[in-house]
Amino acid sequence: MLYRENGQFKTTYRSDQQIFTISQDRWAILALVAFAAIAVPLFADEYLFRAILIPFVILALAALGVNILVGYCGQISLGSGAFMAVGAYMAYNSYVRIEGMPLIVALLSGGFFATLVGMAFGIPSLRVKGLYLAVATLAAQFFCDWTFLRVGWFTNNNPSGSVSVSNLSVLGWSIDSPAAKYLFCLAFLVVFALLAKNLVRGAIGREWMAIRDMDVAAAVIGIRPMYAKLSAFAVSSFIVGVAGGLWGFVHLGAWEPAAFSIDRSFQLLFMVIIGGMGSIMGSFFGAAFIVLLPILLNQLLPWAGELIGVTVSTAALSHTEVMIFGALIVWFLIVEPHGLAKLWSIAKQKLRIWPFPH
Amino acid sequence: MAGMLYALVALGFVLIFKASGVFNFAQGAMVLFAALAMARFSEWIPGLLGIDSKLVGNLLAFCAAAALMFVLAWLIERLVLRHLVNQEGVTLLMATLGITYFIDGLGQTLFGSDIYKIDIGMPKDPLFAFESMFQGGVLLNKEDMVAAAIAAALVAALSLFFQKTATGRALRAVADDHQAAQSIGIPLNRIWVIVWCVAGITALVAGIIWGSKLGVQFSLTTVALRALPVIILGGLTSVPGAIIGGLIIGVGEKLSEVYLGPLVGGGIEIWFAYMLALVFLLFRPQGLFGEKIIDRV
Amino acid sequence: MAHKKVGDVILDVKNISLRFGGVKALTDISFNVKEHEIRSIIGPNGAGKSSMLNCINGVYKPSEGSITFRGQTFSHMSSRQVAEMGVARTFQNLALFKGMSVIDNLMTGRNLRIRSNLLLQALRLGPAQREEEAHREKVEHIIDFLEIQAYRKTPVGQLPYGLQKRVDLGRALAMEPQVLLLDEPMAGMNVEEKQDMCRFILDVNDEFGTTTVLIEHDMGVVMDISDRVVVLDYGKKIGDGAPDEVRNNEDVIRAYLGSSH
Repeated sequence: MLYRENGQFKTTYRSDQQIFTISQDRWAILALVAFAAIAVPLFADEYLFRAILIPFVILALAALGVNILVGYCGQISLGSGAFMAVGAYMAYNSYVRIEGMPLIVALLSGGFFATLVGMAFGIPSLRVKGLYLAVATLAAQFFCDWTFLRVGWFTNNNPSGSVSVSNLSVLGWSIDSPAAKYLFCLAFLVVFALLAKNLVRGAIGREWMAIRDMDVAAAVIGIRPMYAKLSAFAVSSFIVGVAGGLWGFVHLGAWEPAAFSIDRSFQLLFMVIIGGMGSIMGSFFGAAFIVLLPILLNQLLPWAGELIGVTVSTAALSHTEVMIFGALIVWFLIVEPHGLAKLWSIAKQKLRIWPFPH
Repeated sequence: MAGMLYALVALGFVLIFKASGVFNFAQGAMVLFAALAMARFSEWIPGLLGIDSKLVGNLLAFCAAAALMFVLAWLIERLVLRHLVNQEGVTLLMATLGITYFIDGLGQTLFGSDIYKIDIGMPKDPLFAFESMFQGGVLLNKEDMVAAAIAAALVAALSLFFQKTATGRALRAVADDHQAAQSIGIPLNRIWVIVWCVAGITALVAGIIWGSKLGVQFSLTTVALRALPVIILGGLTSVPGAIIGGLIIGVGEKLSEVYLGPLVGGGIEIWFAYMLALVFLLFRPQGLFGEKIIDRV
Repeated sequence: MAHKKVGDVILDVKNISLRFGGVKALTDISFNVKEHEIRSIIGPNGAGKSSMLNCINGVYKPSEGSITFRGQTFSHMSSRQVAEMGVARTFQNLALFKGMSVIDNLMTGRNLRIRSNLLLQALRLGPAQREEEAHREKVEHIIDFLEIQAYRKTPVGQLPYGLQKRVDLGRALAMEPQVLLLDEPMAGMNVEEKQDMCRFILDVNDEFGTTTVLIEHDMGVVMDISDRVVVLDYGKKIGDGAPDEVRNNEDVIRAYLGSSH
C-alpha cells in the first residue's frame, strides 16, 4: 500500500535506467543522506562517533571497493588490507614530504598509488582464479606488510616505525572535532558510492559481471578479460586506498603496519560476503553488521552469562566472539549466500504488495 | 626443518582437495585444535585415570584426540557441508574460512590459550652424519628425521587407502564430480565425513609433531597461511608435490634469509614463500606435479 | 521460400584438423559458406560439429588448416578478433550470464560498440548517458523481435530453458553480426518453441541478410530452412550440398542409421 509503484510510468529509457526507479526509494535515500549529514552530528556523542560512526563510514567505503572486485567482477582478493596500507602510507608521504599539499589531494594520491599496486598484483588474475588468485593476493598482503615495516622511506625514517598526522584541514576548515571528521568521511563515502553505482550500472559494470559469471563466453562476445579484470582491480584498489588513507589520517591519527594486516583483509571480505556480493547497498549493510557485532556481543554476552550464573572473562569473551563470528559467516553462506542485501530486497518485494500476501 | 612441518600441513590440504574438491582453509585451525586436544588430554587423562606410564597416557590422549577430531569432522559435514553441496567454489572457500574462525575460538574456549607442551618422546639431540664427505659432518636433527619418517608412513598408508580400497575409489569419484558420484549411489555425506576424518587425523599428526617441536601456541594457525605456497609449488592435487614443495619452501626460506636478507633489511621469511608462489602462479599455476587446470565452455 | 540473393563465399574453411592430445576431433575439413545463406552442419553425436564452430569462433586453435573470412586468412584468431570481425554465436549449453537481467545480457552484446571510457561512465555525463540510451533502444528492438518484453528485468537464471535460448540468440543479435553461428538453437524445445525459433532465424536472415551457420539435429528443420548442408561424421566430412542431395547421399544415411550386415 505504501510502497506501490502505481502511476509511476517511465516514458524514456533514461528514466528507466536511473539509480532509484521507484520514487519512494528516491525520497527515502534523500532523507537518509540528510539524516546522516544533518541530524546525526547534532545528536551523536563522541563515543558514538569514534567507536561506531566513523569506522562504519570508512569501512563501508573500503567494503565498497572490495565488493567491486570480489562481488561484481568475481575476483577473490585477500589483499585488501595491503591496498589500504598503500593508500595510507603513500598519502602520508605526499602529505608530509611535499610542502603545502592539500589533504584531499594527498588522500587521492594515496588511492592512485594503491591503484598501481593493485593492478600489479592483479596480473595473476589473467592466468588463475579462485583459490590460486587468493594466494596471489595474499602475496601482496605479506609483501606490503614487510615493506612498510622494514623499508624506512615509507615511514619517513621514523625510528619507532609508526607514523602520525595531525592538524588536518580542508580549505581552512579544520577537521578536529569528531563531528567534522565524520562529515569529512561521509562526504567521501557519498561521492564514491555515486560514482561506483554509475560504473556498475554502465558498460564496464556489465563487463565485470560477465567476467564473473562466465569469462570464456565473455571473450566470445568481444569483452577483453584483461581490460575488465585489471580495471576492476584498479577501481577497487583506488577506493580501498582512499579508505586506507582516511582510516589512518582521520580515524587513527597515528598508525603502524599492523593496522592493515591480514585480519583487516578478512574483515573486509566478510563484510562483502555478509552484506551481499555484487551490491552497493550490501557493502553498507556488511560494514554496519561487522562494526556493530563486537559491540553488541560485548554488551550481550556478560549479561547472558550472568543470567546463567557464569562470569565471563574478557579472554573467554573474545574467544566466544570469534566463534560466533565464524558461525555467522557459515550460517549466512548456507541460508542466504547473497547476503543481507538479498534479504533487504526480499523485504522490499513483500512491502510492495503489502498488505496482501502475494 | 620447517619444511617437513609445512609439508605435513600441506598434506592435509591436498588430501581434502583431492578427495572432495573443497579447499579447506580450516586445516590450519584443525592442526592447532588437534594439538591443543592432544596436549591437554595428555595432561588430564593420566590424572583422571591414575596412570603412571607416559606411553599409555600418550596413547590414550592420542585416541581421545582422534575421537574428538572425528566428532568435529562429523559435525562439520552435518552442519555445513551438507547444505552447501552445489555452491560454487568461492562459497565453499568462504565457508571454510568461517569454520576456521569457529574452530579457533572453540579450541581456545575448550582448552585454554596458554602455551602447552607435547612430549611424546621425540629425540631432541642432533645427529652428525656424512662425516666422511663433509668436514665436521652435516648437522641433522633427529627429531626432523623421525618426523619425516612418520610423514612418510602416513603418506604410504593413505596412498594405499586411496588406491586399493573401494572407499578410496569412491573418494576419488566424489572429487571428480559430486553430482555424478551421487547419481551412481555413492553416499556423499558419509564420504565427506570420512574425508574430513582423514584430514583430521593428518592434522592431529601434524599438530603433535609441530607441538612437540615448538610448543602448542596460537601462532600455529598462521601455519595454514604458511602452507599455502607449498601447495601452489607442489600442485594442489599432488601428494608427493606437497612433500617436495614443503622441503623446497623450508630450505628456500632459510637460504633466502641468510643470503638475501641482509641486502634488504631482513625479515623476508614472511613473504619469500609467497613471492615464489606468485612466480609459479604466473608461469606454471598447476605447480610442479599438479594436473593442468582446464576450463570448458 | 522468398527469393534471396545468395552472395559470394564469405567464410572459407580449409583443411581444418583439430587434435586434443591423442584424440582427433576434426580431420581435414573443408567447406565454404556463402554470404546471406543459411548453412547447416549436421551429423551424429560426437561428430565434431561444435568443435568446428569453436574453431571458427576462436575458442579452439586448430592444429592444421586455415580459415578465410572476407578475404583475410587466419590459421588462428582470438575470440575477440572474431567478434570484432562481425561473427556472433550461441552456445549449446547456454553461456548466458546468469546473474544479470535479460536487458543486461543483451546489452553486453553491444559492448564492442561502446566507446565512452571509465571516467565518463563513472560520472554518467552527457556522452556516456546518451550512449547508454542509444544502445538500450537497439536492445529493445531485439526484445520486441524476440517477444520477450515481459522478462526484461528478470535475472536470466530464473527463466525457463526455452526463453534462455531466446536470450542467447538475442545477445548474439545485439552484436549486429554479419555471420551468426548457432549451436543447436532448438535443442530441448517443443514443437511450438521450435517453430518460433525457426521463424526468428528466417526473419533475421531475411531482414538483415545475416549469414547463418547452424548446427541442428532436427532433420525437418534442417531440410526446411537450409540453403546448403555439410555433414560430419567422426570428425570427417561425408556430405556437402543442397538438402535434397545430402538426404539421398548413401554415406549420410549409413552414418545416421548404421549399415546393415
